[in-house]
Amino acid sequence: MEWGIYPAAADRLLSFIGIAVHWTILQYVVGLPLLAFVAELLYLKTGDQKWLKIAKTLVKGFIIVFAVGAATGTASEFGLVLLWPNLTQAAGNYIYFPLYAEVFAFLMEVVFIYMLWYGWEKLPKKVHVIVMLFALIGPWFSAAMIVSVNSYMVAPTGLEPAYNPATGQWLFDQGYPKLLLAVPTDYANILNVTLLQQLGMEVVGQNGGVVLVKMPARIIERLVYEAWHGYTVQDSILKLVIKPEYLNQDVLNTPVMAILDAILKATVNYVGVTTVTFKSPVYLGSILHVIGSAITVSSFTVLAAYAMRKLQLRQKGVKNGEYYEYVDTFFKFAAIFALVAIVLQGTVFGHLMGTEIAEYNPEKFAAMEGTSQSIFSISRAFGLEKLMAFLGYGSFNAHLPNYDEIPKDYCVCSVTHDQDLARIGDCRPPLFLHYVYYTKIGLAILSGLFVLGVAYYLFVKKTELPEILLKLALPFAIIIQAVSWMGWVVREVGRKPWTIYGVMTPDVARTFNPAPTSLVALVAVFFIVILGILAYAVWKFLWLPGKEEVGMEVS
Amino acid sequence: MVGSSIAVFWLAYTFGIHIMLVNIGIALSVLVPYLKYRAKKNNDQALLNFSYKLMRFYAATYGVAGVYATAFTVFLLSFYPNFLGVAGNIALMPFAIAILLIVVHFTAITTYYYGWNRFSDKAHNIAGIFLAISALLIPLGFRAVFAFLNTPKGLYFDGIVARLDLTEALTNPTLLPLYLKSVVAALTAGLILVTGYAAVKYYKISDDSYRNALKSVVDRGVPWALAGLGLMLILGLWYALSLRVVEYKFNNIFGPLGWKVGDGTVAYNLSWLLIIKLILYVAQVYLVYTAYTSIKKNGFLSQKDASNLLFAGMLALVTIVLGEYLNAFSQYPYFIADVTDPKVIQSIPPEVLPYLANVLNLTNVNTLATLTSVQVLTIGFMAFLSLATVYFFYIYFKEK
Repeated sequence: MEWGIYPAAADRLLSFIGIAVHWTILQYVVGLPLLAFVAELLYLKTGDQKWLKIAKTLVKGFIIVFAVGAATGTASEFGLVLLWPNLTQAAGNYIYFPLYAEVFAFLMEVVFIYMLWYGWEKLPKKVHVIVMLFALIGPWFSAAMIVSVNSYMVAPTGLEPAYNPATGQWLFDQGYPKLLLAVPTDYANILNVTLLQQLGMEVVGQNGGVVLVKMPARIIERLVYEAWHGYTVQDSILKLVIKPEYLNQDVLNTPVMAILDAILKATVNYVGVTTVTFKSPVYLGSILHVIGSAITVSSFTVLAAYAMRKLQLRQKGVKNGEYYEYVDTFFKFAAIFALVAIVLQGTVFGHLMGTEIAEYNPEKFAAMEGTSQSIFSISRAFGLEKLMAFLGYGSFNAHLPNYDEIPKDYCVCSVTHDQDLARIGDCRPPLFLHYVYYTKIGLAILSGLFVLGVAYYLFVKKTELPEILLKLALPFAIIIQAVSWMGWVVREVGRKPWTIYGVMTPDVARTFNPAPTSLVALVAVFFIVILGILAYAVWKFLWLPGKEEVGMEVS
Repeated sequence: MVGSSIAVFWLAYTFGIHIMLVNIGIALSVLVPYLKYRAKKNNDQALLNFSYKLMRFYAATYGVAGVYATAFTVFLLSFYPNFLGVAGNIALMPFAIAILLIVVHFTAITTYYYGWNRFSDKAHNIAGIFLAISALLIPLGFRAVFAFLNTPKGLYFDGIVARLDLTEALTNPTLLPLYLKSVVAALTAGLILVTGYAAVKYYKISDDSYRNALKSVVDRGVPWALAGLGLMLILGLWYALSLRVVEYKFNNIFGPLGWKVGDGTVAYNLSWLLIIKLILYVAQVYLVYTAYTSIKKNGFLSQKDASNLLFAGMLALVTIVLGEYLNAFSQYPYFIADVTDPKVIQSIPPEVLPYLANVLNLTNVNTLATLTSVQVLTIGFMAFLSLATVYFFYIYFKEK
C-alpha cells in the first residue's frame, strides 16, 4: 500500500480520520448559514411565514452541526498539537497569524450563533438579519483563515515549481523546486555563495538587512530536519557552506534552529507577517473551492431531506396545504442552490484550483493524471491528455508532467542522500491518487447531471418529479460528501512526501514520542463511534422524516 | 518585557473567562441530572422545569466556554510556539485523556439535552451519569498537566528527546490535591450560584408550585454549599502543603507571610493575591452561613439574604479565577515552576538545557506575534467580541 511508504503512517491515518470527521460536519457550518441568510432575507422582503420557517429550520441544523463541529474541532486541534507538535511549533512561529485571527472568527461564530437562536423572539426582524449575517461571516472568516494555512502548506509563498509545461521538462537538476528566503546579511556574509550557487541557490537581490535567495527545497528540508533534531553547525550541512575563516567554536556550537529561525523570521517579515499565508499561489482557488464545496454539500443534503419529505407526502397522497407548500418551496430553494453551487464548483472554482495545482504542485498533478506507464491511466485510455493539458495550463501545446521522470530522491540533499531518503521513503506522490481523482471527477459530473435533471423538471417542465429522482436525492447527498472527501485526499495525500511543501516532511513534523499503534487504533475507533452517535443524533432529531413534525420542524 | 506582558494578559483574560464558565459547567453537569432525577422521582413538574432551564443554560454556555479555551490555546501557540512544541511532544497522554473525555462529555450533553422527554427515564438517567462523570474527569487530564508544570515528575530524556513516564507523572504530589480542590471548588461555587439564583427567583414569581420547587432547591442546596466551603479549606491547605516541593512557587505565595521552604528566597511577593482570595472566601462563608441560619430560623431566606447568596456565588467564581491566577503567576516567568531546582536541572542533558531554559521562560515571546498592528487588531476584536458575549447573556436572560 502506497500509504505506508511515507513516514508516520498510523499518525497520518488517525489525523485523516479526525479531520475527515471534522470536515464532514464543517461543510454544513459554512454552507447552511448562507441558505438560512437568503431564506431570512426572503422572509424580510415578502413577509411570508414559509420563509421564516425555512430559515428557522436551517438555523436549527446550523446550530446543531456547529456545536458538533466545535467539539470535533477541539479534538482535531489537540490532535494536531499531540501528533504533529513540531509542525505546530513551526506554524506557531512563522505562520501563526491566520490561526490567531481564526480565534476571532470562532468567537464571532459562537456568540452570534447563540444570539441568533435565542434572539428569534426577542430581537427586531432587521436586527436579527444582521445577527444572521454575522453568524454567516463567522464561519466564512474562519474558513478563510484555516484554508490560508493549508494553502501555504500546499504551496508556500515564494515557491518556484520544478516543471516547465511549455517544454515538458522537469527542472530538478537545476535545484527546483525552490523557495524564496530572506537571509539576514550577517548570515549571508559568512556563507560561501559560490558553493551554494553550485548547489542550486540563486541570489535574487537585497532588501534592507536581508539577502533574497531562491533556495532549493532539498536544502531547506535538510536544515529543517537538523533544526528539529538539535543539530549544531558542527554536525550540519551548514558547516560545508560556511567560509572557513568563520568556522570558529562559537559558530560551530550555534544551533541550526537558531540560524533557521532567524532566516525564516526574516523571510516572513519580508513577505508580510499577517499576509504571508494569504499570498500562497494556491490560496484563491482553494478558498473558493472550499466554500463552494460546503455550499454544494449543504444544498444536496437539504435537497435530500426534503426529497424524502416529498416522497412521504406523495405516499400519503397529500398534494396541497400549508405543509406541502412549505416542503415544496424548501425543495425548490435547495435545488437552485445545489445547481448553482455545483456548476460554479466545476466550471470556475474547481478549475481555478486545478490550474494552480498544475502550476505549483506539478508532481501531484502528474500523479492525479496518472502519467506513468506503470499504471492503467484513465486519461491516456480515453485520449484526454491534450484536453487535460489545456485545462491545466491553458494551451493545447502544453505538456502534462511525466510521472515516470520524477526522481525518487528529488527532495533529498545530495550530501546526506541515503540517510534522508531512508527517513522520507519516496519523494514522489502516490499513484493511487489518479483513481481517487478520476472517481471524484466522475461522481461530481454524475451529481451535476442529477441536479440538472431535478432542475429540468422543476423549472422547465414544471411537473412533478419522477419518483426515481426523489429517491436518488439521498444517495447523491452521500456521494457529494464522498466527492468532497476525495478532494481532500487528493490535496493532502498528493502533497506527500511533504507536510509543508518544500519545507517539512512528516518524519520531522510528527511527535518524537509517537503513541503505540494500538492506542492510535483505539482512538480512531473511538472517533468513528462518536461520529456514528452524532450522525444518528442529527438524523433522529433533525432530518428523520415522518416524526411528529408536520409544520413543526422548529420547536 | 512588553511582548511578554501582552502575551500574559491575553492568556490570563481568555483563561479567566473560560475557567469561570467551565466551573459553572462542571457543577451543572452534576446538579442537573440529580435535580431531574429527583423531580421525576417525586413527580415534581416545577422542579423538572427548573432543571431543564439549568440544562438549557448549560447547553448555551458550553460553546462559549469552549471557544475561550480555543482562544487560550491559540494565544499560547502564537506567543509561545516553542513551548507548545515541547509540550506536545511530552504531554501526549494527559492531554489525550482530557480530549477524549471532552468529546465524551460533548456527546453526553447532546444526548442528555435532546433526550429530554424523548428517552425513557432510565436511559436518560444513564445519559445523565455520563454527563456528570465525564465533566468530573475532564479536569483530571488538564490538572495532570498543571501538576507537571509545578514539578516535572516523570520527565526523562532519551538523548535529547524528552519523554513522560505517565505512571510516575500521575503520582505527582501536587496532582491529587489540585484536582480534588478544583472539582470541589467548581461544585461548591456552582451550588451557591444555583441556590442563589433559585432564591432570588423565588421572590420574582407567583406560581406556588414553582416557588416550592425553588425553595426545595435552596433548602437542600445551602447546607451542601456550606459543607463544600468547609471542604475547600482542607483541600486548599493540602494543596498548599503539597506545594512545599516547589520551592520557587511556594515562597512567592507564602514567603512574605513568614512560611518559607528551602533557602526561603522570595522572587516576588504574591501573598497579597492569596490574602484577597482568603478575604473573598471568608465573605462567602459568612454569606452562605447567614443564608443557612436564616433558613433554620425562619423557614426560608429573606429577599436580602437571597440576593446575598447569589452575590456569594459570584464571589465564589471570582475566587476560583483568582486562585488560578495565583497558581499561575506565582511561578512567573517559568512555564515549569520547578525548572530552577538544581535536581531538575541535573536531570536535563546539558546539550538541551539552553534550549529548554529559553523555551520554558515566559519572557521569551514570539516577537512576530506581538507586533503593534496585530495587537491593535486583537484589542479591537476582543473588545467587540467580549461585548457581544455580554450582549448574548443579556438576550438570553431577557424576558420575551
